[in-house]
Amino acid sequence: MSGAQAAGVPAREVDGRAASAVKALQAEGRHAEARDRYAELVSRHQRRAARIAFHYLRDAAEADEAVQDAFVRAFSHLATFRAELPFEIWFTRILINGCLDRIKARKRRERWLAPMPGSGPFDQGYAERVPGREPSPEDQVLARERRQQLAAALAKLPERQRSVFMLSHYEGCTSREVSAVTGLKESTVRVHLFRAIRRLRTLLGESSRVTGAAIPGEKHRVHP
Amino acid sequence: MSILNRLSLRHHLDDAALAAIWTERAAPGRGGAAEAAHLDACADCRARYAAFAAWLEDVRFEARAEADQAFPPDRLALQQIQITRRLEALERPARVIPFPRFARPIASEPSGPRRWIAVAAAAGLIVGLGVGQLLDLRHTLDRPGTFSEAGSRTIARNMSPERPALQPVSSVSSDESLMSEAEGSLPRGLEALDALTPRARDYDQPR
Repeated sequence: MSGAQAAGVPAREVDGRAASAVKALQAEGRHAEARDRYAELVSRHQRRAARIAFHYLRDAAEADEAVQDAFVRAFSHLATFRAELPFEIWFTRILINGCLDRIKARKRRERWLAPMPGSGPFDQGYAERVPGREPSPEDQVLARERRQQLAAALAKLPERQRSVFMLSHYEGCTSREVSAVTGLKESTVRVHLFRAIRRLRTLLGESSRVTGAAIPGEKHRVHP
Repeated sequence: MSILNRLSLRHHLDDAALAAIWTERAAPGRGGAAEAAHLDACADCRARYAAFAAWLEDVRFEARAEADQAFPPDRLALQQIQITRRLEALERPARVIPFPRFARPIASEPSGPRRWIAVAAAAGLIVGLGVGQLLDLRHTLDRPGTFSEAGSRTIARNMSPERPALQPVSSVSSDESLMSEAEGSLPRGLEALDALTPRARDYDQPR
């Protein structure tokens, strides 16, 4: 956390100032200083960016590349950044567009290449990703199954519903922020979020239902 | 409150209604007042809503934990280094790999006069050929008894009425006379060889 954030300045303002400073330094041709200042922005948004990219791509290596591409693209196009839009929103839009492009490219590739066993995004490198300090192999297997089910259910959602759900629920964005990132109306964002949750609930089925959840037959029980 | 909403309040909230309430709380809008009122009044539905919200929270926790596992701090540090490298590389112009040079550079030599000589020689050759063709044509046309006169005389003779244009087949010499003509015109050096060679008519005659 920077000194400004520690002093109580909202993160958005800090980002805005940093982005404007980088822009000015670039315009003056002081590229080394611009890079140093930009590194602050990178370190502040890197984890969140990695998470978003991973949720989209389901592959750590590809998500890594997508995050790098997004940061590099944002730096080289910082001249087009408008200060009235939060840097976070602007950058997230770049990142998500990059991820969607990669998904399209992957689908094109998959149309021509036969999948190799163990090369899917759900089973690739999982053993490497799980550190040795995890509780037990059984827990790991169960967690992996849960995550696979969740990822498969998310993958079945239409692209807009998935984006809205991930940004709203995983990243805690407000409907206005999601609207700014996706270009949808706020009311449409709410509709997509509602539909995504309802569909996820259906897709994950009984296995995901927690104790006390509704039973399909009891959907319209008459109130006592 | 509409009649439909009043009727719906007689039922417990289903998953869709719970999802609507959750969405309304996550992203406040202008709907879901009836469901929210029912939720306040019904302990059963409140419990189910709490379970629903816990399920969604579990989903969020799992998803974030998985992503954080995929990107541990050391990987993020490495990623930041790579981003910095790529940003540095943006400033350097792309290096063009030079084409392998010849032992004797061609382009560096002064080639102006040599090029002019080659162009002049080519132009001279073309002009010379053209002039030569023109002169030859004129010479051919101006010579007496050229192709035009001789040709016209030949055509006139062939078209004259006293000479038939085509001879009948019977008047053409037969194969044997043709062969004897051919034999008669043999060169002297080949006569001995001709005498040794058997003739077809020797085999045709009955013995």
